[in-house]
Amino acid sequence: MDLSLLQELNRALRGRKSVAVVTLTRGETSSGMSVGDQCLVDPTDGTAQMGPLRLSGAIVRQVLEIISGRDSKALHIRTKELECDLFVEVHAAPSHLIIVGAGHIAVPLASMANLCEFQVTVLDDRPQYANQARFPTADQVRAAPLVPTLQSMRNAGQLDRHTSIVLVTRGHQHDVDCLTELIGDDLAYIGMIGSKRRIRAVWELLESEYNLDRALFSKVHAPIGLDIGGRTPAEIAVAILGEIIMVHYRGPQAAMSMRG
Amino acid sequence: MTGSLYPKLQQLIEDGTTVAMATITMVKGSVPREVGAKMLIHPAGLHVGTVGGGCGEADVIRAALDVIKDGEPRTVRVDLTEDISMDSLGVCGGIMDVFIERCGSADAG
Repeated sequence: MDLSLLQELNRALRGRKSVAVVTLTRGETSSGMSVGDQCLVDPTDGTAQMGPLRLSGAIVRQVLEIISGRDSKALHIRTKELECDLFVEVHAAPSHLIIVGAGHIAVPLASMANLCEFQVTVLDDRPQYANQARFPTADQVRAAPLVPTLQSMRNAGQLDRHTSIVLVTRGHQHDVDCLTELIGDDLAYIGMIGSKRRIRAVWELLESEYNLDRALFSKVHAPIGLDIGGRTPAEIAVAILGEIIMVHYRGPQAAMSMRG
Repeated sequence: MTGSLYPKLQQLIEDGTTVAMATITMVKGSVPREVGAKMLIHPAGLHVGTVGGGCGEADVIRAALDVIKDGEPRTVRVDLTEDISMDSLGVCGGIMDVFIERCGSADAG
């Protein structure tokens, strides 16, 4: 791999941008290309750049399709003129986890999510909890009113299909306020803490007082987390993060050893 | 959600070290890692990352040391389909293709 291409790639990764490295692994894309030649493809402008590898518009379109699927993949090209294999290595922009509520569960959850390479934002309206010293690995810690901050994040385009939101505030009313704000957003995941009984009461409240359709609640993961029998804040954080990862990969809920 | 070893690769190249980078480009059946998993093979054994460990990875390291020497990028097929028994190590049941390329200047290797 060429150093200037590598520098450009690292710049994109640091900026948490989506980018793909395309490598010729067999054959040639056009005359003069050799195995190992590479280029970067930037999905925002759909151009191939940096490397010696030249790609036709038709091939770039196939690469862009692979990037939108977020998984790296080999691409076999066969036309009248040429036959070759490319490897498209996709670096998708990292998933964003917003933890609303900076209490006991938020601390281990933020650090575990960082280990799993999420971009992590912690939001709470209490500066004594929402601060960088309490969340040293978080990308962003915001001490600000909950609902207005979520609204401004939405306006900035930050509430999208690669965003997961965990509602673990200090009081259920705050969770409900955030939930009613977020219920219409198309997110990767939304979960809310609370016992089964408590959640049932919340659904009834949302139906009767807020006139929300019950069908909307089905996408909310509540009570939050996988049923792994955890008790401590850290164990609950494992259950929550496990559920987010499971939803991300559309994985099964059973343990590996219980699979058929 | 897979880790990136590119910052480390840039540091190695800027320090004048020539390494090989191995990338899993195709898998069939049960294999220990996914398409896109990467490993840097260092001539002095200071490898970074993994393409699944075990005998398969040892084959990749051997091929990578050749790539560091001759500079010819190539694809190595790792076959893990031998009979599953206790005396054969590292058998998962699948095969994978691993692309290996040299990174860094030719003369430093």
